[in-house]
Amino acid sequence: MKRDPIDRTARGAALAAALLAALVVCPVSGQAPAGQGQRIQTMVIDPGHGGMETGAKGKFGNLEKDITLAISLKLKALVERNMGFEVVLTREKDVDVSVENRSAIANNRKAGLFISIHANGAVQKKAAGSETFFLSLNATDEETRRLAYLENNSSALQSRIDPSSDDDLMMILWDMAQTAYIKESGQLAELVQGELDALLGTRNRGIKQAPFKILAGVACPAILVEAAFISNPEEEQKLASEDFQAKVAEAIYRGLARYLRMPK
Amino acid sequence: MANRKKAKKPKPALVLGVLSVVLLVLVIIFFIGGGREKAKRFVDANIPKTPAVAGEPAEAKTVTLFFLDDDDDFLHRETRQIVAGPTDAEEAERALAELIKGSDGKYVSPLPPQTKVRQVFIGKNGVATVDFSRDIAEKFSYGSTMELAAVYAVVNTLAFNFKAVKKVVILVEGAEKETLGGHVDLTRAFLPDYSLVAR
Repeated sequence: MKRDPIDRTARGAALAAALLAALVVCPVSGQAPAGQGQRIQTMVIDPGHGGMETGAKGKFGNLEKDITLAISLKLKALVERNMGFEVVLTREKDVDVSVENRSAIANNRKAGLFISIHANGAVQKKAAGSETFFLSLNATDEETRRLAYLENNSSALQSRIDPSSDDDLMMILWDMAQTAYIKESGQLAELVQGELDALLGTRNRGIKQAPFKILAGVACPAILVEAAFISNPEEEQKLASEDFQAKVAEAIYRGLARYLRMPK
Repeated sequence: MANRKKAKKPKPALVLGVLSVVLLVLVIIFFIGGGREKAKRFVDANIPKTPAVAGEPAEAKTVTLFFLDDDDDFLHRETRQIVAGPTDAEEAERALAELIKGSDGKYVSPLPPQTKVRQVFIGKNGVATVDFSRDIAEKFSYGSTMELAAVYAVVNTLAFNFKAVKKVVILVEGAEKETLGGHVDLTRAFLPDYSLVAR
């Protein structure tokens, strides 16, 4: 959750991008032509939690998993209606999907954008507001070491990599998939958070970086939106209303539209 | 070396004596040296833990714990006395037990009260591995904010109080777990993050 200077990861990011591209696992090249949306064909929306895993619970019995799905379906409809690309949900009903499978869905479908939707929870009943996360790498200096190692040995490694056999190396690369997109993810988070702040009337908790599992393995710009606090009775009532859910979807959609118009 | 030369001629008993002394020294080095940490932890895991050996006065150590406040999103420091020694790992277990037990004042623990600390192991590489009972994942339905607070209260408490701890790995019921509640990646070691702590 530390606000890492972005350039700390930039060098590694460039390398990871090159490696991933070399392995043909990277759907959006690091050098997309003018306009972020140019090369995006598929977007993945991830309704947080599901099935046995309910996520946070509200005092009035509302469950995070239901609210995230409702918002996700609304956002999907908006994007499909107004933007020219396919939208895939990591779940379309109330089922368990592991975190690993969620990022795998994004990568298998060669997603160009990934948005995970959540409702927040805290023990403090007063905690309130909306925030948008993107990945932090500060928790893992191990990665910095790996990246340094890969950088020094990249030519040797690239000639040795056989995607079918070297599982460990593939795992390491996939583990770092998001590193290549931190900058774009940060920009996307900022634009979406700006719209959430403008539309929802909730407290603006800003953009933050955190070591979230769901974001780490995704090979495209990826953010996690915490719409409001389901643990706060007042915000729980809002989150449960269709009207507020539609506003959240609209805000994310507007942020997304601004991101796609942004010159590279 | 000199001993050996001398011993060549006269008594074989002397050679035997010298050799057995050398052997004894090697055995002592073996147990006190490299193997010490593991050997101690092994014993710890199998006998009931007593705070201090009977008769010896229990020394106290002051530790800083990290709790939540109802009025903001930060972690707040609170100091606490725990029984000192004999190892960092045991002190760390006590510190975390206090963190779970909760604040003496107005603060709130970010961990479920039912959680047990199964074991703490501090490796020579500076990585502390904490094993919690499954309650830590099952007794709360975490939101992102809560899960971050829970993880970093643990990580900061260990890194702040124990110089030997540089990074922290969290296990649940003896095994690696993806996340506590669907958010924070537990499969890697955490560095402390004091940006979450109130000034």
